[in-house]
Amino acid sequence: MESLELRRHVTIGQYVPTGSPLHRMDPRFKLVAFVALVVAVTFTGSYLGNVALLALMGGLILLSRVPARYVLGGLRPALPVLLLLAALQVLLYTPEFTGGEGCVTLFRAWFVHSTTCSVKLAIVSAARFVELLVLTSLLTLTTTTTGLAHGVEHLFAPLQRRFGFPAHELALTLTITLRFVPTFAEELERLIKAQVSRGADMGGASWWRALRRARALLPIMVPLLLGALRRAEMLVLAMEARGYVGGRGRTRLVELRSTPHDAVALLLALLAAAAILTVPWPW
Amino acid sequence: MDTRELVIEVRDLVYTHLRDTPFAVQALKGVDMEVWRGEAVAVLGPTGSGKSTLVQHLNGLLRPQHGRVRVLDYDLSDPNVDVRALRRRVGLVFQFPEAQLFERYVGDDVAFGPRQLGLSREEVRARVREAMEAVGLDFEGFKDRLTFTLSGGEQRRVALAGVLALRPEILILDEPLAGLDPAGRRRLIALLRRLKGERGLTLVLVSHDVDDVVLLADRCFVVADGRTVMAGTPRELFSHPPATLAEFGLRPPSIMTTMHALADRGIPVRRHCLTVDEAADELARALEGG
Repeated sequence: MESLELRRHVTIGQYVPTGSPLHRMDPRFKLVAFVALVVAVTFTGSYLGNVALLALMGGLILLSRVPARYVLGGLRPALPVLLLLAALQVLLYTPEFTGGEGCVTLFRAWFVHSTTCSVKLAIVSAARFVELLVLTSLLTLTTTTTGLAHGVEHLFAPLQRRFGFPAHELALTLTITLRFVPTFAEELERLIKAQVSRGADMGGASWWRALRRARALLPIMVPLLLGALRRAEMLVLAMEARGYVGGRGRTRLVELRSTPHDAVALLLALLAAAAILTVPWPW
Repeated sequence: MDTRELVIEVRDLVYTHLRDTPFAVQALKGVDMEVWRGEAVAVLGPTGSGKSTLVQHLNGLLRPQHGRVRVLDYDLSDPNVDVRALRRRVGLVFQFPEAQLFERYVGDDVAFGPRQLGLSREEVRARVREAMEAVGLDFEGFKDRLTFTLSGGEQRRVALAGVLALRPEILILDEPLAGLDPAGRRRLIALLRRLKGERGLTLVLVSHDVDDVVLLADRCFVVADGRTVMAGTPRELFSHPPATLAEFGLRPPSIMTTMHALADRGIPVRRHCLTVDEAADELARALEGG
């Protein structure tokens, strides 16, 4: 049975308050820890290193007290792309491309060339994708958008002072983007329902008839874009009408205050990232 | 029993949005409703009472998680039910339907549904003409107009025509009058009445505005907090004291409030007038009598 509940799969940009330690962490510290872990994920190409990272992600999910099923639910829509990507990597990546010595050819015919290296690359890429998704989801699931924006603004403030980097504008753009992800999902769901109600056949055409499928999306994409433009215009008007001035001289209702706990948490994250990066994983 | 045909039957319907996620909301907790062919039924209730969730079950956009929904000969609890066939016979017009228009030209937008059915060019043209005339848009005059240059009220009628072009037997409208100016409302109310009268369409209207409902509905269901709490003709419904209605987030029609006020001041009028016309007659009678 088809389900038209799209929001079920949109976990990025949602905030789930559970009051966990991750939620209480100062967004500035959380962001730095987040970046450190993203770096660790990006530069870990070994099986064991990724096992360690996956375990770490599991621990973070537990710590956040957000249901694991919900956090991982964001994977569902990406699954077909992931599988396709893995298949291409396994079949087409030659040893020259994957690099590394000791690649054992598993299968070779015509242009298809599978080696232990390409299999490893496929598995590690998939693991990394999962880790990155968990990290980004957890960041937004445990941080309010305003918290995130203030954190970003604070972290970029030195750049702003030195080089005139638009930290506030960046933070504002980030807030608005994240804020509207669920709104878009909601609108998309509504539009699909409305078009289906007047005879549209969603996902009816076979996938190899790409053109027909793309055309079938028009009744959804056109109104969605129109709605987005209209909403953007309204947002600008509303901000202008209230005399919004960003950046310098703007005060806050809630000031960010860090505690020793935040420093400890950040230190732990940095240590974990450093450890995963420096351990010479055997395979 | 009588000879009328039961076209919609909802029994003890329960539905939770985003079930199994932290955002789960139980929208329906036990709704009952039945609709007979050819009548106009209103689903009344305050914002967030579950009205929209309820009507999305009626053309298979949502499937019952518990309870029973039967529409025409389709049992929506059956996972193999042909929802595409059902949706051709049950037209659903969403709130602010003008937001779903996408074609450059009015005629093309109305033709979207019929084209999806794989009908011939002539048949599509005939259906578009019929649907546009039904909503009071002149076919020759409007078919080549640019969709997005029309007024809001005209766009809404185009969207309505887009659903009517499927020739549904049951037409469901979610807040059809929201955001229209008084002239637009009057026009749409007249239009809906004509669809019901001339084409025998069964209407299900979702509304939170009682003033609209009394002009259109033969019967009403009041949904509050996910449950059917009252059912009956508008006259039966609004004979309840205002305090009882307020409990379910409803108020009497504006004109009835006026009549209550007059009666309270000792003017000998009947309180339970539903429409302005009825109240006018009542006042004339009272003035002549007095």
